[in-house]
Amino acid sequence: MIKQETLRTFLAVLLVIIAVIYAVNAGYFGKEILAEILLFAILAMSLDFLAGFGGMVSLGHAALYGTGAYFYAVLTVNYGWNAPSAMAAAIFFCGIAGWIVGAATARVRGIFFIMATLAFGQMAYVYVFENRALGGDDGMSGIPRLDLSLVGIDLVDPTNFDIFLIVVAAFVFIFLMWLLKSGFGRTLVGLHRNEMRMRALGLSLLLHKAAAFAIAGGIAGLAGTLAAQHAMFVSPDYLDWKLSGLVLIIVILGGLGSLIGPVLGAAVVIILKHQISAYTEHWAFFIGVFLIIAVLAGGHGLYDLLVKLNKRARRKATKPEEVVDA
Amino acid sequence: MLEAQNLMKSFGALHVTNNVSVSIKQGERRAIIGPNGAGKTTFFNLLTGELPLDEGRVLLGGQDITKLKPDGRARRGLGRSFQKNNLFDGLTVQESLTLAAVTALGKSGIFWRDPANDDEVVQRVKTTAQQIKLEQVLNTVTDNLSYGQRRQLEVGIALASRPKVLLLDEPTSGMSPEDTGGMLELLKNLTGEVTMLIIEHDMDLVYNLADQVSVLNYGQIIFEGTPEETRASEEVRRIYIGEWGEDDA
Repeated sequence: MIKQETLRTFLAVLLVIIAVIYAVNAGYFGKEILAEILLFAILAMSLDFLAGFGGMVSLGHAALYGTGAYFYAVLTVNYGWNAPSAMAAAIFFCGIAGWIVGAATARVRGIFFIMATLAFGQMAYVYVFENRALGGDDGMSGIPRLDLSLVGIDLVDPTNFDIFLIVVAAFVFIFLMWLLKSGFGRTLVGLHRNEMRMRALGLSLLLHKAAAFAIAGGIAGLAGTLAAQHAMFVSPDYLDWKLSGLVLIIVILGGLGSLIGPVLGAAVVIILKHQISAYTEHWAFFIGVFLIIAVLAGGHGLYDLLVKLNKRARRKATKPEEVVDA
Repeated sequence: MLEAQNLMKSFGALHVTNNVSVSIKQGERRAIIGPNGAGKTTFFNLLTGELPLDEGRVLLGGQDITKLKPDGRARRGLGRSFQKNNLFDGLTVQESLTLAAVTALGKSGIFWRDPANDDEVVQRVKTTAQQIKLEQVLNTVTDNLSYGQRRQLEVGIALASRPKVLLLDEPTSGMSPEDTGGMLELLKNLTGEVTMLIIEHDMDLVYNLADQVSVLNYGQIIFEGTPEETRASEEVRRIYIGEWGEDDA
């Protein structure tokens, strides 16, 4: 019954409403799960922008996320920066780091691109893991949350923190949707569809890909600073390639190149993870089975499934009119 | 406008482009012809920067562009179409032309405005669509166009960047005779401002369109002249015997 572009907006609004209702009514544990979903949703949108729209399937995205988390932790804990400046600095730094990775890998494609991003990610992971000043494998704790008491909001309260995350996630979604409609976003998608042609038209591969990576890196870094605030703790696990893999699974399961699909994917995967964990610690096995089914069923993810169902509903609804037209 | 000076390119011991020099004046329509394997496509790729040169220089509007990569050459005003359709699958005609216009107008770095609301881009897309006679199918997805229309769009994407020199790689390749006639009309109607270098097999098109013809054989330019002179040339005829020599007799 609904047009596809409207479907995306409709789904986004629906998810926000559900999340807000849940944030207010759920128990403590439920609120923690919601926060986890929202953090993954922001990270997954950032990766979808890069992989789904820009064609750069990165397996090092967690490194940017973890870098944001550590940067924030070090600035606030070791240097006593206030939270907003530390967040801004972390996002900026991750943007620069993203730009460098993007520029370095601009001419690399396919499996080699994945390997190159994995290598960058592992470099960051090992650096943090071995660095005693960063707490090594013990990580760092005592990380403060943003202080919004000026506007009367206490972010230590889990409900408030959840709603704060919902607002940030919605802002990221709107920002990326708007970006994708711009000259920059459209040419990025063009580059993904036909790199040779865009080059022949005069587009600089290196500058464009690096810029896209910088934006994705900044958003991943933002998610990292929020994750550090949520747990009030950071560890090298934040940069682990397994986390990059999980985010990639979330994006693919949700629907590559749909932006809202990965949000849905984050919800499904994290909920499944917690549900299955109650019975067995091998939850990843079942996520794997789920992913295989999803890929075999067409490989376009949950969002595509919704689009198809919606199209079918539309066809049914418009059939009588077609008869009249004929 | 476009000048190739002593271009050399070898693959192993094979001199695919052997000391080729071509000079094209502003507004000129130059055709490069030659039998299969004469080195036309290699020469083309040397001009666009797709292949690195062994020796020689390429000048565009007097500026040396030899060291520039394909995107850099394109930004200086060298536009090209492809022999095999090289389009944006899944995008409409309008979206495809918009991509070309946005890039050519240097607006690919703008992230605060939808090009659909940018008058300069919209106007460019509109005039280009008229030039390639696809204004009726602007909202059709590329995949659903007829082959002839896809060829037109192929040229249109290059044209939308308003290049100083337009390089066309067999624009009528694979087209039916009727569609070929349409393409000829379309190319003829492009005003004299655009300088054109065209690689083509269709001799009718070449003789109808080109001001000058260069004949390439075994990597060397063996003849240069007007279409009439080329048609009359004994040497050119000899190379082409069996290919189109009889048609002309």
